Amino acid sequence: MSLFAYAYLLIVLAYLGATGLSLFGALRRRPGLRRAAVRVAFGGFLLHTMLLGHFFATETIPEWSAGVYLKMLSWCVLAVSFVLWHRLRWDFLSLMVSPVALLLFASSITHAQGTVQMPKALHGVFFALHIGVLFASIALLAVACGAGLLFVHQERKIKTKVRLAGFLQDMPGLSALDRVNHWAVCLGFPLFTLGMLTGFVFARMTWGKMLSADPKEFMSLTIWALFAWLFYGRLFLDWRGRRPAKMAMLLFALAVVSIAGVNFFLQSHHGLMERP
Amino acid sequence: MTLSIYLIGLNHKTAPVEVREKFALTGVCPPPEDLPADASPDAHAPASPDAPPPALFPVGKFLKEVVVLSTCNRVEVLAVGPGRDTVEAVLERWAGLKGATADELRPYVYIHEQLDAVQHLFCVASSLDSMVLGEPQILGQLKDAYRKAVAQNATGVICNRLLHKAFSVAKRVRTETAIGGSAVSISYAAVELAKRIFGEMQDRNAMLIGAGEMAELAATHLLTSGIQKIFVANRTLERAVHLAEQFRGEAVAFDMLHERLHEVDIIISSTGAPTAILKAKDLKPVLKKRRNRPMFFIDIAVPRDIDPDVNNLDNVYLYDIDDLNEVVEENLAQRQGEAVKARGIVAQEAVKFGIWLKSLDLTPTIKDLLEQGRELGRRELAKTLKRIKSNGKAHDDADVELALEMLVDSLVRKLYCQPITFLKRRAEEEDSARRYIDITRRMFNLDDESVPPDAHQDRRLPREGCGACNHVESGD
Repeated sequence: MSLFAYAYLLIVLAYLGATGLSLFGALRRRPGLRRAAVRVAFGGFLLHTMLLGHFFATETIPEWSAGVYLKMLSWCVLAVSFVLWHRLRWDFLSLMVSPVALLLFASSITHAQGTVQMPKALHGVFFALHIGVLFASIALLAVACGAGLLFVHQERKIKTKVRLAGFLQDMPGLSALDRVNHWAVCLGFPLFTLGMLTGFVFARMTWGKMLSADPKEFMSLTIWALFAWLFYGRLFLDWRGRRPAKMAMLLFALAVVSIAGVNFFLQSHHGLMERP
Repeated sequence: MTLSIYLIGLNHKTAPVEVREKFALTGVCPPPEDLPADASPDAHAPASPDAPPPALFPVGKFLKEVVVLSTCNRVEVLAVGPGRDTVEAVLERWAGLKGATADELRPYVYIHEQLDAVQHLFCVASSLDSMVLGEPQILGQLKDAYRKAVAQNATGVICNRLLHKAFSVAKRVRTETAIGGSAVSISYAAVELAKRIFGEMQDRNAMLIGAGEMAELAATHLLTSGIQKIFVANRTLERAVHLAEQFRGEAVAFDMLHERLHEVDIIISSTGAPTAILKAKDLKPVLKKRRNRPMFFIDIAVPRDIDPDVNNLDNVYLYDIDDLNEVVEENLAQRQGEAVKARGIVAQEAVKFGIWLKSLDLTPTIKDLLEQGRELGRRELAKTLKRIKSNGKAHDDADVELALEMLVDSLVRKLYCQPITFLKRRAEEEDSARRYIDITRRMFNLDDESVPPDAHQDRRLPREGCGACNHVESGD
């Protein structure tokens, strides 16, 4: 087994361990286990960072497979959650994020063969401004979606006067969950807009036109329009609570459909289907 | 002399409140004839504030160790003594202190002996015997009682160990079960719900509309949980001002209620109004002014002060007295379920304590000591033989191995000969046997206990400037 294979195995084990520990810690209401889950996930994240750093340093972009993009996405989701964890110290974040990171990282291993073709002109700044920024905003949406799920569930229980059982009693209050949604939307929408704009600019530079009736473009514009509505509602119409929580969930679901459906199954210049 | 543990007490289950009041031992002074002789010549001199109060149950022939716990719901005397005479001595003394006879007291008391007493004490410490299951105050009260007994030199090997164990059992029960997890009073349930909505309470404001015992209690809980400010609105402004002073808040004229409502996050309403004073349509402009920040209404008035439709508004939550009662009942049921789990822990710990109690006799301690020594010696010998073999100096002589084992065993016996002789001599003396046996067990860790790093922190010497410690730690 090569050193890389060991690193992959360790990262998968760390995310799997973090998922198990956080789930067990939540169900048995053991804060110590939940904190341990955050530490284990962080250990995996450090190794994950080193692995990506190695890819960036040694491999050229045209040689990357779809797996590298999935690794980057799972890295972004974890990075956003660790920033949040650093600010809020919510150990339950691990419960929301570790399974997503595990799923993305594990599927990156199964998509490690072949390369995704990308025009040479799009390797440098474009890469950071388009893919990096969009991945960061999708990661923010993922966290907002998790917080939204918790919000909607808890709020329904409080409104209908049903007792909050078990681990829900250890979760943050409704206001705190709403604050996560606020930050995710306020940061995520400008990032998403920047990612879209750079996409159009570079499309114009590369193919001579901004729009090319690509399914990804249609999905992204739909998500952007909804995201803009949510952003406007949060900032100028005083939207709080259930409505923005549900919208964040819808936006993340659309983002997942966009990535899983368009990038992997449809013919598109964003396609991540392997070419041997 | 064999000593036994007795727990003699009465509580809310065995005695009505008049009896509990009559035999309470809080604030009771022992009769002057029981005070130490050197106290009498200078009776008018002010007592040192640090001096412990005189013991209510003096240690003597029938009472070797004693701890007295007296709260509004229970009076319990934990006593260690030579036999049933101990119980009689406690009952007579207790009744005597309150100007009654033992026969008057006897019908209301329960008497637990040995492991039953241990188990009962663990239950009390873990709040499994409390009127409100899982309430946290009893542990603090027990700690105070123990501290007082220690200051009066009324505790010894058994009580020290038993009480420390009771504290750790209570901690285990709190950590491993949800016995103290959810609120079991209406006022506290309301505050817990507020925390579920708002999380941190530091930046929140609350308003009391009307006054009443339960509303005031909820306001007190809110203040304890860190709320920023309390507004009080009442039809009688004087009453509002008085209450506002009590909570260091602000009085609001009842007519200004709607104008000030947008400033508050939590509203506790308990007026005697015959119809609703707040309706959903009144709150829409308030929510607009608040930019839809959430509001929590607690309506404990009957008939209700707040229209139930308010709960249908976005970001507004309303609980009335029936909803809160339901929450409390569910929480109580949950605590009952947790209590079963907690009793399992208590029983398990009581058995462990029983094993320790038995080991306080001389023979098991000598046996444990020699066994531990022999095991250590054999383990070290096995390591040495393994090292010799790995160095290639193999030897197949079983006789040599046997001889070495005998050497190790003999060395252990010789090493422990003096401590064992010392223990045997102490065992012939009346009072000191248990103390030395206990010290031996702790010194050699015969009960395989782990000591927390912060144990007896208050008794340790400051580490700064301790050259000897630095020397050891540096590994020189």
